[in-house]
Amino acid sequence: MGQVIVESTQKYLPILRVTLGFMFFSAFIRRAINVPAKLNPSSSAYVGGKLITFLPHAWAPIKGTLVYVLQNPSLLYEFIILFTALEAIFGLFMILGFLTRLSGFVIAILAWGIGAAAGWLGSTCVDEWQIAAVEGAAAFMFMFTGSRWLSIDQILAKKYPKGVKLGKLYIPLW
Amino acid sequence: MEMEKITILALLGLIIATGVTFGLYQINFQGFGHLTNYSKTPAYSLAGTRLYENGTLFLQIARTAGPDTYGGFIVLVQVLYPNGTVVYQWNASQLAHIPKSHIHNEFSLHPVTTTPFALEVPLGQNATVILQIPFHLKPGYYIVRVYDVDGSYQAYGVKFQVEVYVS
Repeated sequence: MGQVIVESTQKYLPILRVTLGFMFFSAFIRRAINVPAKLNPSSSAYVGGKLITFLPHAWAPIKGTLVYVLQNPSLLYEFIILFTALEAIFGLFMILGFLTRLSGFVIAILAWGIGAAAGWLGSTCVDEWQIAAVEGAAAFMFMFTGSRWLSIDQILAKKYPKGVKLGKLYIPLW
Repeated sequence: MEMEKITILALLGLIIATGVTFGLYQINFQGFGHLTNYSKTPAYSLAGTRLYENGTLFLQIARTAGPDTYGGFIVLVQVLYPNGTVVYQWNASQLAHIPKSHIHNEFSLHPVTTTPFALEVPLGQNATVILQIPFHLKPGYYIVRVYDVDGSYQAYGVKFQVEVYVS
């Protein structure tokens, strides 16, 4: 195989990639390390309570789901753990540039999903919308660009430039 | 991938991302119309409130807007005749002494509670608060209204009140 040429635009992508990933990975750090009470259902800091504040203007299908989850505390706990785990895993992947396209897809769904639930909140400015819109668009962009520099994907791409082979299809996870 | 495919994909991505951004802005804040930020001022809904002939009021109170980290605080609950005359009312210190057993929250987290100066209703919570008028009521229509600590009983063009029928 010949030398792989990295497009110059690719070299600027990590500027955004690391910050974007940290927005999600840091959510895990806050809940698991800084303030563990956030994951304790009997604590007043429990993030489960935050979901109640989303309810008044959350979008229809998400609102119903939130109400159902909030009325079943054990389900709520599992939901919080799952959500935190997704943020931790794909936030870290985005920082490392590992499976960047897949991470971009997952993070876009998380960000835009939060936008449909909590996007109406914002006591300083229109905060939650700004967060959801920018993070969602950025993650969505990485779905198309991947990240081929300062990333684990650059190593994977050298070996498997087309992605994971599934039958006759190539799934471009990086 | 040939250039043309990339162009189509890039434009499609641009349309989707911009569409979501604009859509969230318009639906959450009416950003392209009459801009509304529901986090600024507390608002309450009393939908589902019931009043009985024996004077028992099942005040169904939900907080539908305002800051997510604090309040809101109800300092006055009124039962009125349709013409606006007060039938009976509970002031802040009376509301502060509502027994816990008379407050039923829909969600166990962030419950409606009494504070020394008001009834606190956290954002998104929906509770039934049982109050008692010390006399019987004639059948007919009544208005139940609540006041926020800022003195107002309306926000975003909606009044914090509901019409109920006593049979």
